[in-house]
Amino acid sequence: MSNMDGRALRSEASSCRKIMGVSVALVTVASLMSTTVYGQTVDLSQWSPEYVKSIAGTKTFDTAADCGAVVPNDYAGNVSYWYTGPFEADPIISHEQDKAFWDAFHTAYPNIKTDVQSITYNELLDKFRTALLGNSAPMVIRLQILGGVEFAAKGYLNPITPEDYGFTAADFWPGALKSVTYDNTLYGLPTNNETMAFIWNAKVFADAGLDPEKAPATWDDVVAYSKQIKDKLGISGYGLVAKQNAGNTPFRFMPQLWAYGGGALDETAPNPTYAKVEINNEGSRAAVQAAYQMYAVDKSVPISALTNTQAENQAPFIAGQLGMMIAHPSEYAKMLDLASKATGSDKEVADAVVANMRYGLLPTGPDGKRAVVFGGSNIHVVKPEFVDGGAVDEQAVKALICMWDSPEWSTKLNWAGSNPGNINGFLTDAMKERLDTIKFLDVTTSMLPSGIPFPVLPESPEIMNIIVPDMLQNALTGNMTVDQATDDAAQKIESVIAGGGAGI
Amino acid sequence: MSSSQGQAIFRDVPATVRKEANFGQRVYNSRFDYLYVAPALLVMLIVIAYPVYYTIDLSFFKTPASLSLANKTFTGLDNYVTVLTSAIFWKVTWQTIIWTVLSTLFSFLIGLGAALALHRAFIGRALLRGLLLIPWVVSAVAASYVWKWLYHSDFGVIGALLNQVGLADGPVNLIDNTTTSLYALIVVNVWKEFSFAMIMLMAGLQTVPESLLRAAQVDGASAWQRFWHVTVPQLQGVSTVTILLLVVQNFNSFIIPFIMTGGGPVGSTQIWITHIYELAFLRQNWGVGAAYAVLLFLIMMVLGYFYVRALTRGDDKRAGA
Repeated sequence: MSNMDGRALRSEASSCRKIMGVSVALVTVASLMSTTVYGQTVDLSQWSPEYVKSIAGTKTFDTAADCGAVVPNDYAGNVSYWYTGPFEADPIISHEQDKAFWDAFHTAYPNIKTDVQSITYNELLDKFRTALLGNSAPMVIRLQILGGVEFAAKGYLNPITPEDYGFTAADFWPGALKSVTYDNTLYGLPTNNETMAFIWNAKVFADAGLDPEKAPATWDDVVAYSKQIKDKLGISGYGLVAKQNAGNTPFRFMPQLWAYGGGALDETAPNPTYAKVEINNEGSRAAVQAAYQMYAVDKSVPISALTNTQAENQAPFIAGQLGMMIAHPSEYAKMLDLASKATGSDKEVADAVVANMRYGLLPTGPDGKRAVVFGGSNIHVVKPEFVDGGAVDEQAVKALICMWDSPEWSTKLNWAGSNPGNINGFLTDAMKERLDTIKFLDVTTSMLPSGIPFPVLPESPEIMNIIVPDMLQNALTGNMTVDQATDDAAQKIESVIAGGGAGI
Repeated sequence: MSSSQGQAIFRDVPATVRKEANFGQRVYNSRFDYLYVAPALLVMLIVIAYPVYYTIDLSFFKTPASLSLANKTFTGLDNYVTVLTSAIFWKVTWQTIIWTVLSTLFSFLIGLGAALALHRAFIGRALLRGLLLIPWVVSAVAASYVWKWLYHSDFGVIGALLNQVGLADGPVNLIDNTTTSLYALIVVNVWKEFSFAMIMLMAGLQTVPESLLRAAQVDGASAWQRFWHVTVPQLQGVSTVTILLLVVQNFNSFIIPFIMTGGGPVGSTQIWITHIYELAFLRQNWGVGAAYAVLLFLIMMVLGYFYVRALTRGDDKRAGA
């Protein structure tokens, strides 16, 4: 047998294998298509700014046809939907995409009537609570990431599976699915997810003798950098936020606490039980100690931290009076806006700050652990008995959710403020366009794998917005020692999750 | 005399005489009056009476965050016991008293001073009246944000001014400080409220008879004596009403502490109303929040009683005259 023969045989064998392979692939695809519209082709293990850029624009989707496989496009029915849509302050593109979605939906499903209400972020929860008490809720509602847990716990929401809507669990961030799982049951689907990033002023860093292009690697570095900036320049180093009764506080402090190995409960575990209190473990104490060091010992953060939210950090940052802070991806756009409004010498300073603005990953803890709060929203289906009219049109609901959470619309509808909840959205042309036009988007999206949702408990708002800020304030003001403050918080959390409330 | 004229006269008959007609007859005679107030009464029943009833009802139930209100558990007076035996409640109560008493006292005194100053005619009086009204007409939310920046511990104008005139050396920390934060907020509240007292007292000053003041002057009374012995007694009625309204307003004052400090630092600016809001809406402890609100409601009812009494003082005498 000549080499050629061997090659021919191998070639034949190879062809057979190819045919077999293609057949298997086709069978697999066909079987998957029977339950899901979209197959996952995003590799989360490779997630990095470069990877995010490399996959954007590599796949196109025919959303109307894909959803047509879930609910026939000629289906006739009706669906009611409440969400927080774009309002006056939102960029024009958000309004355009919102309108484009509804046009596309009515084109794809011309016989489905929609009753849609866009309700402001601050009003949505209270209106929904009221509507539920009067059995006049919408069939579908989109709520902020932990907004749904209260309603799931109270039995208002329908358990669902991603497959019902043409998806699989692999189409979503694991952390995002965790945020909508209560008592081991899925009560919604993630529509969009975002994480914050670390922002610094490169000029401030350079003037303070720090590497202007390098973010602090660890939270201990943040403490040291903050002190160095304060000592050298006399301005605040890090924009600590510790206001009481403010959601801003846990969103910025919990990443630090988690990185040190702490937690409110065991929310950082792969399968959290939310039964174990960790707010007074060594890691949590180290994080509170680091905050105390910056506020009370080094005095390297704003004195106003106790009444500051992130909004109060924006003015000093654009004025070049603050070195570092944690903020949303949209912070860059906010700074551009502030700079455009500045005049005279303020304008020069503001423009220089914008030019020197840098985004990086949040620092790690001493053991290399990086963490950030997993933000975003979820879409939920309400049980029929609480819906206006007492019935839910399941097919119309499926059609709406399939389109809303499709790779295409999950990306376009979250153009300016977030990221697609359906991770296949990262493959779309729209994502490529976002990456090309929104500065630092690649960095901020790179924090997503480090995202940790707050404990998925109805008591979570009390733990995060009340107990955590109280703990910080007790320690920072010297009202209690770090150990006393964390023990006090632990006692309150135990009481809350035991159903007894944390006193008054 | 037409029947309508007769009816009008019957209504003007003093109460003692009207008692002779039986109750049913009196109701029948006033049927159109009841009809006219019925819509307003209905609206009040829906938007005031029902929420009050619901709050009282809710205060007897435990409402954990994991249970819908339909599944709340009856616990009797437990929520009231929880509130009244809590150390935080008494701390917040003490802060509420300081907040209410100082805010009312200084708003009234500054308002009285401004009213007396503006009562006399001088060039620019109208303009000054308008300017002094500004704090009252400005939105409390906007004012709170402005004052928050004025007080700002790092970049506040107040701190900068104090440093410039040499009264401070370094950052002036008023609202991020557990000792001074409540008083700093009281200053804002007084600034916001004194105009109200000023308007009320200016109106009161218009009713002081000029003849009495002149008579006192002729009798040799000094300016202070005229103020103390003539003006002050004449202002008693309007002062009582003003003080009561200020007390009610301050007990319910939510916006300034909530926006400026959120009740912090370490609860040092927490007052009843912000505490109730925190319990009910931020911690979803509706039952305890409702019990707390009922206690506040009772206090408001007592104040309301005195307010109505102050307003209607002399009505019976006039009716019987």
